[in-house]
Amino acid sequence: MTADVSPPSSHASALGDRIAGAVLVLLAVAAWWHARTFVTGFRQAVGPDVFPRLVCVPLGLLALYLLIRPGINARWPGRAALLRQAGLLVLLGGYATFLEPWGFLPATLVGSVLLMRLFDAAWRQALASGASLTVILYLLFEFALGIPLPDIPGLGV
Amino acid sequence: MAISPRSLHTVAAAALLGLGLSVSTPSQALPISECIAPADPGGGWDFTCRSVGKLLYDLDLVDNPVKVVNMPGGVGAVAFSNVAGKRADDSDLIVATSTVGITQIAQGRYPGGVDTMRWLGMLGTDVGVVLVDDDSPYQSLDGLLEAMVDDPSSVVMAGSSGVGGWDHIRALMLAEAAGLPDDQIGSVRWVQFDGGGPAVTQMMGGHVDAVSTDLGEIAGFIKSGDVRVLAVLADKPLAPPFEDLPTAVSQGYDVTGYNWRGFYTGGDVSDADYQSMVDTLKTLYDSPEWKQVAERNGLVPLWRGGDEFNTFVRDTADKVESISREIGVIQ
Amino acid sequence: MDILGFLLHGFAVALEPQNLFLALIGCAVGTLIGALPGLGPVNGVALLIPLAFNFGLSPTAALILLVSVYYGTMYGGRISSIVLNIPGDEPAMMTTLDGYPMALKGRGGEALGLSAVASFVGATVATIGLTLFAPLLVGFAIRFGPAEYFALFMLAFATIGGVTSGSFTKSLLAACLGLLLGTVGLDPASGVSRYTFGWYELYDGIDFIAALVGLFAISECLLFLEDRHQTTGASRELGSAIPGMRRAGACKATIARGSLIGFIAGVLPGAGASLGSFLSYTLEKRWLGRQGDFGNGDPRGVAAPEAGNNAAAGGALIPMLSLGIPGSGTTAILLALLLSMNITPGPLLFDQQPDMVWGLVAALFIGNVMLLVLNVPLVGLFARVLRAPSWLLMPVVILVAFVGVYSLNNSPFDLYVMLAFGVLGYGLRKLHMPAVPVVLGLLLGGEMEFNLRRALAISGGDWSILVGSGISVGIYAFAATLMVAGLVYAWWVRRTPDAG
Repeated sequence: MTADVSPPSSHASALGDRIAGAVLVLLAVAAWWHARTFVTGFRQAVGPDVFPRLVCVPLGLLALYLLIRPGINARWPGRAALLRQAGLLVLLGGYATFLEPWGFLPATLVGSVLLMRLFDAAWRQALASGASLTVILYLLFEFALGIPLPDIPGLGV
Repeated sequence: MAISPRSLHTVAAAALLGLGLSVSTPSQALPISECIAPADPGGGWDFTCRSVGKLLYDLDLVDNPVKVVNMPGGVGAVAFSNVAGKRADDSDLIVATSTVGITQIAQGRYPGGVDTMRWLGMLGTDVGVVLVDDDSPYQSLDGLLEAMVDDPSSVVMAGSSGVGGWDHIRALMLAEAAGLPDDQIGSVRWVQFDGGGPAVTQMMGGHVDAVSTDLGEIAGFIKSGDVRVLAVLADKPLAPPFEDLPTAVSQGYDVTGYNWRGFYTGGDVSDADYQSMVDTLKTLYDSPEWKQVAERNGLVPLWRGGDEFNTFVRDTADKVESISREIGVIQ
Repeated sequence: MDILGFLLHGFAVALEPQNLFLALIGCAVGTLIGALPGLGPVNGVALLIPLAFNFGLSPTAALILLVSVYYGTMYGGRISSIVLNIPGDEPAMMTTLDGYPMALKGRGGEALGLSAVASFVGATVATIGLTLFAPLLVGFAIRFGPAEYFALFMLAFATIGGVTSGSFTKSLLAACLGLLLGTVGLDPASGVSRYTFGWYELYDGIDFIAALVGLFAISECLLFLEDRHQTTGASRELGSAIPGMRRAGACKATIARGSLIGFIAGVLPGAGASLGSFLSYTLEKRWLGRQGDFGNGDPRGVAAPEAGNNAAAGGALIPMLSLGIPGSGTTAILLALLLSMNITPGPLLFDQQPDMVWGLVAALFIGNVMLLVLNVPLVGLFARVLRAPSWLLMPVVILVAFVGVYSLNNSPFDLYVMLAFGVLGYGLRKLHMPAVPVVLGLLLGGEMEFNLRRALAISGGDWSILVGSGISVGIYAFAATLMVAGLVYAWWVRRTPDAG
């Protein structure tokens, strides 16, 4: 394999497949093993453990194949990008966590403004758009679609 | 996506349309303002919530339309745990349930027992039936049950619940009444489908021998004559048009199996609030509108409320628990 | 002919001005709901049922409104599939495979127009099939027992290599992963909980709308954050829908085949619209072989699943109306609607209430035409949405998806599930592993397992029941042929490097 055929990142790429293969092999083994807890008192021709185990076999074998003969992967991102991605996940996780305790309006306002900041909006743009988005979503779901959203505690909105 | 002016028009139009449906301006706590359907839209519990919620408003029993919240999961377990944990003293909340929910509780599949909640009342009931295809060799309940007792694995039965579910338990109660020994009861072949309709269709296709399910779900097949009803699991013959269907009791098997629809509320609701909710539901039950809605959906209007209902729920749970133990569904 | 008379009467009713207006409103509202990631036809129709009652509409008018909403949501799902690579619901997933690449090439408007025409034809074929063959098809459908359905699902997974142009191993691996994830939850047949680790929220299994939106929308955003200088993916210009409608003529064979496959899948109540669009796509890809450029924006890759999807939705009305069995989530809602209007679908419906049946058929047709007409201005609207800067577009899409998914079950847990699937989807993209088979496994795994278990419960554990009928043997033979043909084709492509 010459340098100009394989891009510099090809080592890391193959690594991605190998890691995925290893993880999936472990998953298949663990899922097979865990299936032993699926027991019923009532006699059934095929119990609840059979199908998951039937799936674990090809899953494990194919993952093993991937581990041994990895294919091509895309380039993995650098540190700055990873930080932004982690930021997105933390932000959305936080939104999911605070949606019910805070109520829809405050949680969505904070969430949308920060989210827009993460995507490089200026503060003013983020505040204005975040506020309108929050209100539009609230009106859309609560009134137009008739789907109740979490209220702000004690306020009933 | 809702940013552009064009879609705002759509929103406005939709909002205008929705006004009649969902003007939920906040106000002081009213008797019943929210109904949790512990299932996806479209199922029986969802129907119970939506039809009762709508009637409560139509009959002016509540000032604002009742919010219907779908909270599916674990055949009602998610809603149960949610109410027990967060809304136990919420006096404006009702939750739809049925015999299916009680079966789950009796088999220990909810996080808590019957006493975790306060049981408000039942408004109507569906009734169990056992049926076969119109060209089946089984002409009567006796014939079917005899074949089962002779060789339990010779009959393939189907229904809309899983092993240990209400449809299955009702069928096994019959087999037991016919004298099938406890140690052989596990040999009866049981196949679950996604509803009574699919089970009957599979029976018409010759894939299973007999079906045990609710009458309401499959009434159309009875009227069209595609199936033969061997027994309805009611104490006495049903009202027309089903008055000719034989009960199991009349054939010498003392088995009944209803599937009622009703509501519970949180366990910490005060006695006064509880009583006022029961009264509201009773008023709704007494209206001719409810009778209409119920009959239209294959339910027999039937009222049990308050303490009587609480006791009834407890008895049902005990009965289901003991038969589940006998057939080995729970240890 | 009696049927024709009823049908004509149905059309006369549906064409009254009030009903046309309702169809228009329904299509517009439905399109909006469908385009919101996370909300699909089931929610759209379920939410509007009370509305129909509130206005005191006649049964036919209510049906027209709701059927229009239904078609609107299906079309809305398609828009976000093509424009944003985010399927609004499960059947729209296959449309992303070639629709999004078309949008990347600046042919998004064409894809939207083409999908509208293909859907229209698919739905029309289904309507005609329904009119002519309903009683006959019912007889065919009830011959499918659990063993035959299991064979049908095996066929679906045998063709899974055809989903993407990527590695066959990785497609299959993704499918197995999806099947395993599909077993999470309470096993309905025994009540045993599997892989739930004590979480009640998992008892109903992984919500596949949450999984779908996570895999597509969240992973798209993660990918975008890697390099903020790239565009949002879709080209900013959508173009017009008109050429797409003209282009449909060139795809007429594809549309015809897709409609037929979809219709058959729809008639079988255990199969449904997702399987219809999936099989239409993969079988068409196999059929065209090297003539197709599937996965890279081949218009036929949009036409086939769209025709299949809508033909299946129409076909599903046959078991719904004549047996009372809903073949999909949406027909389940329509069934509930009919019940609440005092109409009990079942074997007698065609005889006893023909005006109702043919009114419904006419309503379906009107809804279809209405969408085809609405389509042209709607493309302009969505082109404008795309011109929004990415700091606005991406957060709006994410938040709408979040609120949409939250509102399904009122559960923050689903939001965590969605995030987890977002990370999974991102990893899959980096590994060049397709995400579609994961969703298919998740979606079809349950029915596949239950039919296997039903078959074996019937036979008392004798596995030979799986090949016990001519139908199932035929399906397996077809699947094997496709599989072998696929392998031979792959080998042949590798031997001749200039191909594909």
